[in-house]
Order: sequence, then C-alpha cells, then structure tokens
Amino acid sequence: MGILRMGYAHVRVTDLAEAKQHYANTLGLYETLEQDGKVYYKGWDEWDHHSLVLEEGGVGVVKYGFKVEKPEDIDEIEQKGKAFGLTVERMSKGENPEVSDGIRFTTPSDHVFEVYHEQTLIGTEVGTHNPEAFPRHLVGVGVPGLDHSLILAEDVRTMENMLTEVFGFYATERVQTDLVDDDAHYIATWMTSNNQIHQIAVLEGPQSKLHHVAFKLQDWSEVGHAGDLFAMDDVPIDIGPTRHGITRGQTIYFFDPSGNRNEVFAGGYLAYPDRPTVKWTPDQIAKGIFYHAREINERFTTVST
Amino acid sequence: MGPEPAGQARRSYRRHVEVPAATVRKGAPVPTLTIHPTGEKIFLAQGETVLEGLYKAGYAYTIGCRRGGCAICKVDVHDGAFDYNRPVADSVISDEERADGTCLSCRAVPDSDLTIEMRDSCLRLVNPFLRQINEKARLRAEALAAGTTTKE
Repeated sequence: MGILRMGYAHVRVTDLAEAKQHYANTLGLYETLEQDGKVYYKGWDEWDHHSLVLEEGGVGVVKYGFKVEKPEDIDEIEQKGKAFGLTVERMSKGENPEVSDGIRFTTPSDHVFEVYHEQTLIGTEVGTHNPEAFPRHLVGVGVPGLDHSLILAEDVRTMENMLTEVFGFYATERVQTDLVDDDAHYIATWMTSNNQIHQIAVLEGPQSKLHHVAFKLQDWSEVGHAGDLFAMDDVPIDIGPTRHGITRGQTIYFFDPSGNRNEVFAGGYLAYPDRPTVKWTPDQIAKGIFYHAREINERFTTVST
Repeated sequence: MGPEPAGQARRSYRRHVEVPAATVRKGAPVPTLTIHPTGEKIFLAQGETVLEGLYKAGYAYTIGCRRGGCAICKVDVHDGAFDYNRPVADSVISDEERADGTCLSCRAVPDSDLTIEMRDSCLRLVNPFLRQINEKARLRAEALAAGTTTKE
C-alpha cells in the first residue's frame, strides 16, 4: 500500500504563545502534547496523536512525516530511497513523541522527510461508535485535519522523480513549459499516492523553503466562514476566498503570527493514478493558481518561509 | 429614563477598551517617519510599526505576511532608531542587516523620528514564470534576427 498520507508537518514559529492562539483558537486544532518547547496538535477528525508540530525559534518548516500502512513498507521505501541515491537513516520509536520507528532522509529540495508506520491512536473527537456529524463545541474555524503542503525546490522534475520512484506518488497536475513531457521544464507538480488530489506539491523556488501548509475544509461555505473568522481575529489574508484552477479546490491563503503561510482548502476532484495528468502551460499559470482573478499576486512567488 | 442604563453600560464599555493610560505618556513626542527623498512626513502613534503607519496614512508598497516571516517589506533607515516588537528569525534579518540600517517594517517600532527610503517600489516582478516566457521570446527574436542577417 505504501504511503497513506502526509501525517505531520513540523513548523517553526517565532513566538509560541501567539502561534498557539492562532492554531488552537482561530483554526481550532486540538493540543495533544506540549513538551521540550514543542506543541503538538491534531484536528477533530484525525485519529492519530498529532498532525502539526510547532517549535519556537525561526520560521519555516523543520520536517514532514509520511505515514505508511505496514512496517514492511518502511523497508521497501528505504531500499527505493537508497536506489534513488538518497542518504536514508533509521529513526527510533520515540525520537518523535508518540511516533513509531521509521526512516529519515533529506530530499533533493533540502527538506527533511520522515516515514513512519504508527502513531499513538487517540481517536477522532466524535469517536467510532454511533458518531455525531461533528463535535458540538468546535473552536474557531474548527479544521478537521491537515490536508497538504506546498514546498519550493530548485529542481521540480527531480523532486517529482523522487516522489514517484521512492514514495510511489503520481502527478495529478503539473505546470510545464511544453506539453510533451520529455521536452518540458517542470515549474510545479501536484502529487499524491491515493484519491486525495494532492498530499504534497512542489513549486520552483529556493531550496528548503515552505510555501504553505494547508488544512481541510468541506466546501465554499466553510471557506467563507473561515474568512469571516480571520477578519475577526486579524489574521493577515494573502488571497481569497477564491478557487484554484489547478485541483479545482476552494481556498484562502493566510499567514500565521510568524509569517508562515497557511491555507484552508476545500474540494478538489478525486484523483486516480490512471487519470491523465492535467497540464498547465506557464502563460496560464495565473489562472491555474487563482482561477477568478487570473493574476498571480505579488506574494505568491516571492513570499515563503 | 428607560434606555439610560443600556447607554451608560455602552459608555463604560467604551472607556474600558480605551488604550490604558500607562502606555500613553502625556507630552511624549509622537514619532514621525520621513520618507526620503520626497520628504513626506507620516505621524505614527505610540507603539505603531512602520508598516502600520504607512498604511494608516494611505500608502502601499511591497508587503507579504505582515508578521515578520517573509522579509519582503524591508526598507532602509537613513536616520533614527527603532526596535522590533517581536523576535525576528535569523533567516529573515541577517546579522549584517541588523547593523546596516535594514528595517523589517512590519515589526519595526520607532524609538525616535525615522527617515526611511523604500526599496523596489517601481517595476516589480510578480510572475517570474512569465519572465521565462519573455526570455524565450528574446531568444526567438535573436534567432530570427540572426537568420535574417545570414539570408541577406
């Protein structure tokens, strides 16, 4: 089965108290642990111990964790990683609180990826026995969980190759300079292992940078409601609510109190590995990113952490 | 008499949310921002950041996250002193920049009157991918020009 999903994103913040206010009270994540200067969160509809880790000091992303279904999947990914030329190291159970053993490597884009097979099971906030539709007393936006992340890389094609060969991901959409793949320079790629439209996307830009971490919502009305709450909580909006041409998702980009970009993302069609990859040409990238305005705002390519 | 209590309640609530007296020193000078080279003067409130002051006065420039993380709202300080109202990441302001007058405007609160100069406020590249297309067009034009020359 391989990779189930992006299980966690670990992000740096300059001020932990302000960050907690944002992620717990505005986004409505549930704090599950605070230890050694780090805070761990999960969304209400997530069952594993955490999907977001905040660490005080600096900005940007520390690492990502990807969850596989079975311990054997770790060995397979380790071998594929080595075959690809990655330096893969083993990590022990407990190196990350409540996370199993696994592997760790640095990607060609200089991001740190971890792969693990288990996290302490906490359960969703509605449980599994005759559950209600949602928790009655959600806080703020009440995001149900982590959705995906967009990272920057100097060489997008190599990242796509790595994610394909090592993780078994496939590209659902891509921005490329030529519709013939062999002749094309890849500007951006959206990748997944299952029906989720993307788990990770890679855009051409400086190495090791974070563009955004996204949280799930259901539909337009929830995205609009989130926007209202951002106004009430003085959250800086980057853009939205609008739609992405790419993925067809509905979105707001906004910033956390340290300047890391966040997104609330809803919709997006069902992905299948046998569905032909959607290709966007660079002259239409603005429509692909912001479907309504059809202009890239000046922050999209220049602001990252 | 009926509506009075509600009105009084509202008034007392308003008093409650006023800026606490301790932070507004009577007679304390209000810091000003002078924009070089136009000489435009912006009057800031106590504790206000350079970015807040400029936007409050109706100006816009290149800004990003507005929370100290992205580094694109930097301006240059020619004269005066300021402090940052939050910790600023080393990846955003380098040691060198901390000494050379670089000012991260969304986090900078003046300690005195400041003279600043804006950066990159004329032609701004917002879509580098379109610039790549333009670069291809330049190559085509050059090839065409070269082709024409050889045919003649």
